[in-house]
Amino acid sequence: MYKALGIRWFLLLTVLPLAAGLIYALLYSLGLAGILGNGFTLAYWQSVFAEGVVWRSLGYSAYIATASMSLACLLALGLVIKLRTAFQKGILSYVIYFPLAIPAMVAAFISFQLLGKAGLFSRLTYALGLTESLQSFPDLVNDFWGIGIIFSHSLMAFPFLLLLFLGTYEGERLGELKQIAKTLGAGEGYISRKIVAPILLKQNFAAILLYFIFVLGSYEIPLLLGREAPQMISVLTIRKLQRYDLLDKPEAYIIALIYCVLVLTAMVISLRRSKILQKN
Amino acid sequence: MQKGFTYLLAALILLPFSLLLLLSLAEGWSFPSILPDAWTAEHWSRLFQLDGDLGQSLLLSIGISLFVATVATISGFLTSRFIAYSPFRERYLIMAYCPFVLSPVVYAACIHFFFIKMGLSGHIGGVLIGQLIIAYPFAVIICHGHWNERIRSMEQLVATLGGSRREAFQKVILPLSKGILLVCFFQCYLISWFEYGLTTLIGVGKVQTMTLKVFQYINEADIYLAALSSWLLFLPPAILLWFNKRFVFREVNVS
Repeated sequence: MYKALGIRWFLLLTVLPLAAGLIYALLYSLGLAGILGNGFTLAYWQSVFAEGVVWRSLGYSAYIATASMSLACLLALGLVIKLRTAFQKGILSYVIYFPLAIPAMVAAFISFQLLGKAGLFSRLTYALGLTESLQSFPDLVNDFWGIGIIFSHSLMAFPFLLLLFLGTYEGERLGELKQIAKTLGAGEGYISRKIVAPILLKQNFAAILLYFIFVLGSYEIPLLLGREAPQMISVLTIRKLQRYDLLDKPEAYIIALIYCVLVLTAMVISLRRSKILQKN
Repeated sequence: MQKGFTYLLAALILLPFSLLLLLSLAEGWSFPSILPDAWTAEHWSRLFQLDGDLGQSLLLSIGISLFVATVATISGFLTSRFIAYSPFRERYLIMAYCPFVLSPVVYAACIHFFFIKMGLSGHIGGVLIGQLIIAYPFAVIICHGHWNERIRSMEQLVATLGGSRREAFQKVILPLSKGILLVCFFQCYLISWFEYGLTTLIGVGKVQTMTLKVFQYINEADIYLAALSSWLLFLPPAILLWFNKRFVFREVNVS
């Protein structure tokens, strides 16, 4: 009896809202629900595909997620390889946990205060005589390349990845592996490139992919540090949903549906390939 | 050389927090000054005025996060047991991952209609349910790995020795599960504590949690109060993390 109740509770909180939400979004996008529900139509879908804004937004989101994760992975890998012992004792073993307590909203605010035209870096470059005025400092936030967004996401992801890699380094006994490779004549650089980095990345592939998906759908950071165009997928969806023009609403649901289908498909494939679903 | 680099790196990691602290204590900070023009403790004094909107937001956020974390942890722990031992375990786990990987704000956009129909939009109850819908599957994901062969063998041993299922749960499983329950509670608390998109959409901006306050102050260009609110958002999880750091990460790695 308890088992049946438990599974029902699980389905009620997990499957039912998701299924209901996706079905409602689909019906709305087909003109079968909501204020604009005047009968079946594919006009909204055709309009979204003709505009192409959804693909640009998805491409931009993928670019931001790839750049952020690559930067964070490189930084975390470099530090684990070069400064591993420093993160196990001493001051770094304490302060590395602090960035984990930063919410996305605060990370965006910090980036704005560091990288903005009147931010700390701009003041420092002015004091050092590298810039002549506020305007001569480059646009690092609300810029086309999303530098501020990438900086914020990397700031949030790198301590998490570093701690994850440190755990794997110990768990996989990479220190002993390194010693064996050294005995066999391999150099430091070769060991890092051919043994340590591939093992750390492969063992944590699922976690990196999940973080990638998280960055792909991030909202607060691009909302504060992004531009009107291109927009990341979550920002585009919500802006279309909250516009006064009611014709934008079905398009918002279509974008949400496309995003959900892509993310859920990627997740199912990666979960089936990873060890996460394997029984202990 | 390495020691110097270590301290430099520590200083860089602490730079954002120092900047927020400086901003929260600043009265004015005009360009191109490196340090604030004048100092004040006025912003921080607002923290102790619990009848003020900042204090209310802080209490509201703590209350929402405690409720969401408690319900998600207890129900996630109990239901994860049924899922872990179910023949459809893999299917259920994929279902649990679905809401977890989706952007909460996009998910909220899809389900908001139902919250409006149930009269929960713009109410604290709606925000609690909305956050629970995100935190609960995560609790299931964290806890399911705990139900391994060792735990099952212990349950069977208690049964063989004449103990009831209730006794096995109270006297064997719960003491063994303290670690995972603590980690799960902490993670669910963070999910709720950091949540912005879903809260602003389901709460229609009326349920003013701390993340909404930060956004409001940034929008109003009040960077000093935004910095103070950011500190208030950062401090509770940082303190919890400080006390449980090694334990929390070891458990996360295991699960």
